[in-house]
Amino acid sequence: MGALPPSSHALITAPLRGADEIRDNTAFEAILWALSRPGEIRHLPEPGPRTILLALVDRECRVHADDAVIGELAAWTGATLTPLAGADHVFLSLEPGADIARLNTLKVGSALYPDDGATVVVEARLGRAEGDGQRLSLSGPGIETTREIAVAGLPAGFFALRDRLCRYPLGFDLFIVDGSDVIGLPRSTLIEVL
Amino acid sequence: MTSLASLTKPWEAFSYGFLDASAKRELRRKMLKAVAVPGCQMPYASREVPIARGWGTGGLQVTLTLLKPTSVVKVIDQGADDSVNAASIRKFLSRVSGAGKTWDTGEATILQSRHRVPEEVLREDQILVLQVPNPEPLRPVEPNMSVARQMHADADYGRLWLTLYEQMVRSGRIMQGAAYPSLVNGRHVMTPSPIPRWDVPKLHMARHLTFLSAGREKRLYAVPPYTRVEPLVFSDVPYKVEEHHDLTCHRSGLTGYFMNEIPQNDGSSSFEVSDSHFGIKAIRRSEGEALAPIDTWYKNGELQP
Repeated sequence: MGALPPSSHALITAPLRGADEIRDNTAFEAILWALSRPGEIRHLPEPGPRTILLALVDRECRVHADDAVIGELAAWTGATLTPLAGADHVFLSLEPGADIARLNTLKVGSALYPDDGATVVVEARLGRAEGDGQRLSLSGPGIETTREIAVAGLPAGFFALRDRLCRYPLGFDLFIVDGSDVIGLPRSTLIEVL
Repeated sequence: MTSLASLTKPWEAFSYGFLDASAKRELRRKMLKAVAVPGCQMPYASREVPIARGWGTGGLQVTLTLLKPTSVVKVIDQGADDSVNAASIRKFLSRVSGAGKTWDTGEATILQSRHRVPEEVLREDQILVLQVPNPEPLRPVEPNMSVARQMHADADYGRLWLTLYEQMVRSGRIMQGAAYPSLVNGRHVMTPSPIPRWDVPKLHMARHLTFLSAGREKRLYAVPPYTRVEPLVFSDVPYKVEEHHDLTCHRSGLTGYFMNEIPQNDGSSSFEVSDSHFGIKAIRRSEGEALAPIDTWYKNGELQP
């Protein structure tokens, strides 16, 4: 009974997917998988955080972007550009030596509404070779036991700051983008810096 | 010069996957938050879809957001693929997206279900979407949803244990048959939708991602893979699933799976396996068809670790 008889409405053809729909659906599929299995690398349809923004952000969102091009794109979607403290979607450009004290104002939601915590997208390098970047050990939902990853190019103390802000179920959800590779680190993930 | 044509899109009968782009973006945002805080109910707008609220609109919206032409959908209504509700939803999903349709759990990529989790073990690339009539486990003990939200914020779940205790005192055992309250990731209690007690352990540390979505109540929540889902119990009263381990399906001959009871004229009962296509496959195998072996959560009525 695997194959079903064709529908009696076979004459009505399904709508075709436009380029936007294909891009948004592919990007969402990648970040949904990445967030449900923290640390697993998935692939975005294009390099950079652009496709994540287009899949998620519209006029209902408040966006902060360090990068002017991403900010313009966010404004084009109709989103309101705000300072970091008020943004629900945050696109960061962090130099390795940058001062990250401003990130203390990231929205982490409330105990009543944990969903108010920000979605943060940051570009960094996902270490693949031995000794490349800061090694992290992840555990929590989506990981059977533990998973080790390496991330390079983020300021020192970034994960300590995340640890301080993410008081589960409060916190922010992080996507790290490296070219077209992406990993997700939801607030539920415990990160041990090795 | 800006013309009307440059500001608008070409005419379309309807959007791919029925929902418009803005509805999908809102669902995507909420689905990500639901995955990030397992078991926590996330409010969402719940658009109109062409079936009535309470008939699976929540699950439908999540499925429509996930769909692509290469998806293969299976729709389950209380274990069966051929009920009117399941058949209509499956046909609709396929018509608006060009996705494939199947009855076979193993072939599906998205499984939308009302009140059952299939007997076959789900793989990591499959997504289970459960339709939820009442997403609030605290509603029987706290009808005010603002107060219930505060109770979730405080992890104040004592009254749920009290209900279970009262059932023990009144009836000698826990009577909660479906929608058994379960603690997710050690923090939020969720109602796993009205799946039988038999199905709740299948969500614990599973390989697949589960979404639970209530369209009428406008809330969705999720159980990511490898997440703890622990039914509320007392330390001296272990969790018990339905005693179906020794029941045999009168059509397929299967023993040790969740059964539907069919009352007979003489007052007795006969049983048939609730996961209907699982039963169909057993019948086909007994007729000599070579089918790939199936991995099931339960074997001989016992949950496999």
